[in-house]
Amino acid sequence: MGSFVSYLVSGLAFGCSFALLGSGFVAIHRVTRVVNFAQGTFAVVAGLAAGSLLGDGLPHGLAEVVAILVAGVVGLAIGVVAVGKRGTPTLASLVITLGLGILAYAVEIMIWGDQPSSYPMVRGSVHVAGATVQKQYFVVIGAAIVVFLALGLFFAKTYLGKALSACASNPYAARLVGIDPVRMGILAFALGGLLGGLAGVLVTPLQPVSFDSDVALATNGFAAAIFGGLNKPSAALVGGLVLGVVEAMVAGYVNASYQTEVALALMLAVMIWQARKRTSLTEEVA
Amino acid sequence: MWLGSLVGLVTLLAPLVLSRSNLTVYILLGTAAMATIGVSLLMGYAGQVSLGQAAFYAIGSYTAALIALHGGSTVLGLVCAPVVAGLLAAVVGVPILRLRGHYLAFATLAFHLILLAVVGQVAFFGGDIGLQGIPPLGIAGHQLVASRSYAWLTWAGVALCLLVTRNIIASRPGRAMRALSTSEIAAESSGVPVTRYKLTVFALSAGFAGLAGGVYAFFLGYIAPGSFPVLLSFQFVVMAVVGGLGTIWGPVLGAGVITILVQVLNDLGTRPGMPTHAAAVFSYAVYALLLVLVLLFLPRGLLPATADLIGRFRRGDSAAGPPGGVPGRGHDVPPRSRAPAPDH
Repeated sequence: MGSFVSYLVSGLAFGCSFALLGSGFVAIHRVTRVVNFAQGTFAVVAGLAAGSLLGDGLPHGLAEVVAILVAGVVGLAIGVVAVGKRGTPTLASLVITLGLGILAYAVEIMIWGDQPSSYPMVRGSVHVAGATVQKQYFVVIGAAIVVFLALGLFFAKTYLGKALSACASNPYAARLVGIDPVRMGILAFALGGLLGGLAGVLVTPLQPVSFDSDVALATNGFAAAIFGGLNKPSAALVGGLVLGVVEAMVAGYVNASYQTEVALALMLAVMIWQARKRTSLTEEVA
Repeated sequence: MWLGSLVGLVTLLAPLVLSRSNLTVYILLGTAAMATIGVSLLMGYAGQVSLGQAAFYAIGSYTAALIALHGGSTVLGLVCAPVVAGLLAAVVGVPILRLRGHYLAFATLAFHLILLAVVGQVAFFGGDIGLQGIPPLGIAGHQLVASRSYAWLTWAGVALCLLVTRNIIASRPGRAMRALSTSEIAAESSGVPVTRYKLTVFALSAGFAGLAGGVYAFFLGYIAPGSFPVLLSFQFVVMAVVGGLGTIWGPVLGAGVITILVQVLNDLGTRPGMPTHAAAVFSYAVYALLLVLVLLFLPRGLLPATADLIGRFRRGDSAAGPPGGVPGRGHDVPPRSRAPAPDH
């Protein structure tokens, strides 16, 4: 029972970070129809930046916020290159984000070197139902809940959020009422950067990141996002939690080295199951 | 035609003059070119994105190495490398090719990651340590030991891939394939067996990578999961896009430009006095910048852009329009197919 609870909590915490990354995918895809391959980069940049800012003596809180903002700026920059030029085809944008992710490798190695790094955020652990659980897990879960609530309010209540949703549902109509879909696309990238950055800042204390951690982070985030067909942030939350818990259980009860395979196989299964309902007709015409 | 013959001649004579270390680069360039021809066939002509080409490269390598290490003939290993890669692609392709666009990209990437993880854990495949002591290729009693013979073997492989691609593109199924890349509905309603053709192209493109992998295994004599990182799959895509998707010679040009640039910068980066990570930084930056700049400003790739320039220069005018008479430019893509499979 004790080990079950600790697997569950760690699974939920990692699931929350996947969900945050996944909602970044969703925020960008909804508006631009681009799947941002550099989504894992945001988490890596934020994690590494927070580590070095803390090392420079910045207090906790401030360092993390600055790191998340840095990731947001990186998102903005990637958005400008990937969708800023009008008429860039969607798949070209996808490959451009892949390229920018590789460019980020070069910059990250220059600034932070190629070794994995980590930092403590909240020390200590608590006892829950016979299990010893690190407090950091609860920080991740709590932060994710707050952010998802805020995200819901943002899309439903604010002008900017509504404008983003408008571009998502009908870019042409959005332009008619004076919303610039290209600018909204770039803003969506910045939002994706902030969400990815938050995931990175939260997860780095649990699991050291290095410049090339982005592929694993991005595939997990993507796997979470496709639960809702890349269009619903709430479905990304569910997807992330399912994925995180499944991975933690497999790692705990079966073998930690099968963790990745299970996650990836689950993602493939979900995608293929979804494709069953989607014919080329709906994809080409819609 | 003269240009093609010239390129062929230079390719054949190059191994005689290259130094030992340059010869290694030359061989790896050739294997990369083979895999990239596959990517270009799949992405440029059939409109399907693959971020898992290096997985089939790995399958080819492991097939060749395992057959040779378990007492089979090395030639059999080299022949089986593309066959096994192609067959596995056909099996994996059945579920995966139902996906389109970015879903397919992620699915092929996932396949690559799963393959690496499985190979790293199974003792039969040598685990994370890999397979060592792969014998050199022996053809009719002669063991190929000299790098020079591998260079010729590699480029014979490149020529084979180019020939197969050229003939397929020009054939009736090739036309059908280009049709399905623009619209699967239109192709299907004109009687093109879309699913079967997509699967065939996927298997063929994997076969090219498998052949390259087989040569690679015999040449280096040592393979491990670490030899086939995800970045290698990305690299093949970068080479294909930079050279020019949907052109026959583009992949070779792309592989050449990138391999040579990375090599030059690598030499520069490892010189004394350079920062420790300079070489890695340079090579990542080259891949990335070339990819992004080409996609934004020369979306059709280097080869068509250069061909345009030459054509314009020859006719001595600056009017835009389709130039003609440039070798290797006969199979240009329609503008739409550089954005394969519209996804909404």
